[in-house]
Amino acid sequence: MQSESESQSVSQQPSVPPPNIEFKALALVILMVVIVSASLAYVMYARGVFESTQQVVLIADDSEGVIVGMDLTFSGFPIGRVRRIELSDEGKARIVVDVARKDAKWIRTSSVFTMERGMVGDTRLRVFSGVLTDPPLPDGAIRTVLLGDATSEIPHLVDTMRSLLENLENMTKSGSSLRASLDNMQAVTQNLKGPYGGLGVVLGGDDNAQKIITALDHINTLLAKTDSRVFGADGMMDESQAAISQVNELLSDVRTSLKSVDVVLAQAQVIGSNVEVASTDLVVLREQVEASLRKVEHLVNEINRKWPLSRDTKLKLP
Amino acid sequence: MRQNSLSRSGFDTLGNKLVRSVISWWQIIHFGAVALVLVLSPSSYDKVNRSAIAKHIYMSTWQVLLWFTALCALISLVLVRIIVVTALSYGLSQYALEVVVRVLVLELIPLGAALFVVLRSNVEISPTLAESSMRTEVVPRVIAIAFSVITLAAVSSLVALVMAYIVVYGFSPWGLAEYTRMVGRVFDPGIAVAFILKTVLFSLAVSIIPIATAMQTRHQYIGVNNSVPKGTVRLFLALVLIEGASLSIKFI
Repeated sequence: MQSESESQSVSQQPSVPPPNIEFKALALVILMVVIVSASLAYVMYARGVFESTQQVVLIADDSEGVIVGMDLTFSGFPIGRVRRIELSDEGKARIVVDVARKDAKWIRTSSVFTMERGMVGDTRLRVFSGVLTDPPLPDGAIRTVLLGDATSEIPHLVDTMRSLLENLENMTKSGSSLRASLDNMQAVTQNLKGPYGGLGVVLGGDDNAQKIITALDHINTLLAKTDSRVFGADGMMDESQAAISQVNELLSDVRTSLKSVDVVLAQAQVIGSNVEVASTDLVVLREQVEASLRKVEHLVNEINRKWPLSRDTKLKLP
Repeated sequence: MRQNSLSRSGFDTLGNKLVRSVISWWQIIHFGAVALVLVLSPSSYDKVNRSAIAKHIYMSTWQVLLWFTALCALISLVLVRIIVVTALSYGLSQYALEVVVRVLVLELIPLGAALFVVLRSNVEISPTLAESSMRTEVVPRVIAIAFSVITLAAVSSLVALVMAYIVVYGFSPWGLAEYTRMVGRVFDPGIAVAFILKTVLFSLAVSIIPIATAMQTRHQYIGVNNSVPKGTVRLFLALVLIEGASLSIKFI
């Protein structure tokens, strides 16, 4: 209101201008120029006009949802923006992305680019770098985009769901194997509630269970008897302990006897060595005897040859 | 025969109105072209005119800048809060800021600044105004009003951007990078040019149409008091056409 009345008074009394009116008007002009220039500079900075960039060309089968200016994100942080989308000679979409050089270190040669289309919201371009020690992606590199489209999975999902429902219907209809299994399960649970419980179910009937229980009783009786015979007073265990002590004594006697045998063996060894020497002398003696015998034989042969009457060398035929 | 004469007279009346309207718009366009030529002419900025321009700028901008900025900040705060909370409740908080900038800065604030200047400007054309005095009386008003629209729109857009940041991120500086990136995404070259063009057209419409209509009515010997609503209606029509054309270019 005050300003309205002031303006009216100014318009009604033009001869009395407000103080410093030209200075204020000049200040307003400067303010307007500064604001407009700063806004333009800010928008240009926000558009990345002043930052150094390198290009990555992404090849996709379909560029639907991709718009110029949208972000390329790495770990949720925008590191690049789409500059241009064009159709390649192969009929595929070429998405040219400007990546700021200061953020280009996050994109490596092994990086994977994905384009995700959600059921709600816009399309997103993402880059995943698993091995950050790989060499950095060169300027102008061409990479294929992996598509992650949630809506494209819907038909497959519907088919799978339909077959699943059909299977479920087959399983639950009368006469199906599942129904029979459930009936059998019901019979089993009925048997479980019987006098012999799970034992009757496992063995196939109460009679068999009765036999098992009787056998168990017999086994228990036998175990009691065995216990008394083995571990009771004057049982097998006591006798075994006595036998073991006797065996120990016997072994000590055997050990003593063996020591005596060792002495005997040592003496036998000495005797053996003496026999060996004696046998060596026997060989010499034998050679001398053989030489004497050969001389006697030679002498006998000589006598026989020189003795004329005693030999008749003619053969008489019948 | 009587019915025929009545319908013929009605048709004549409709035709006359149409012709008068076309002639009137043509006169406005002609006046605007003359005024623009005078605005761009260096001889319009002599010492006497500079003083007159300064006086009109002071009246149309200086006196209202502060409280218009405060009012704009308040309205921006409320609207931003509403949009952000609504987007948050639908799980779309990542789009809230973009919606705020697109709706508030690109559409509402230039239109609001233009309408505010229209409602505040008091067009008084002297009955003795001659064509020769256009340079000294009309041109300073045209310049001042156009300047007022552009300045108020620029200042209030800046204030709205700051308020949006504060509402979403508080006074933390860590959201600045993300916010800047979002602003850059919204103001792509086409949108930025359309925004500037729309604001300039708003300022020209607000500064020229009321004065041109007032001068037409002066020539037609119609009361000055009746000329303001007529010019205002024409101005609103022009503003709606500019806004509609801007939206059509952007979204169709």
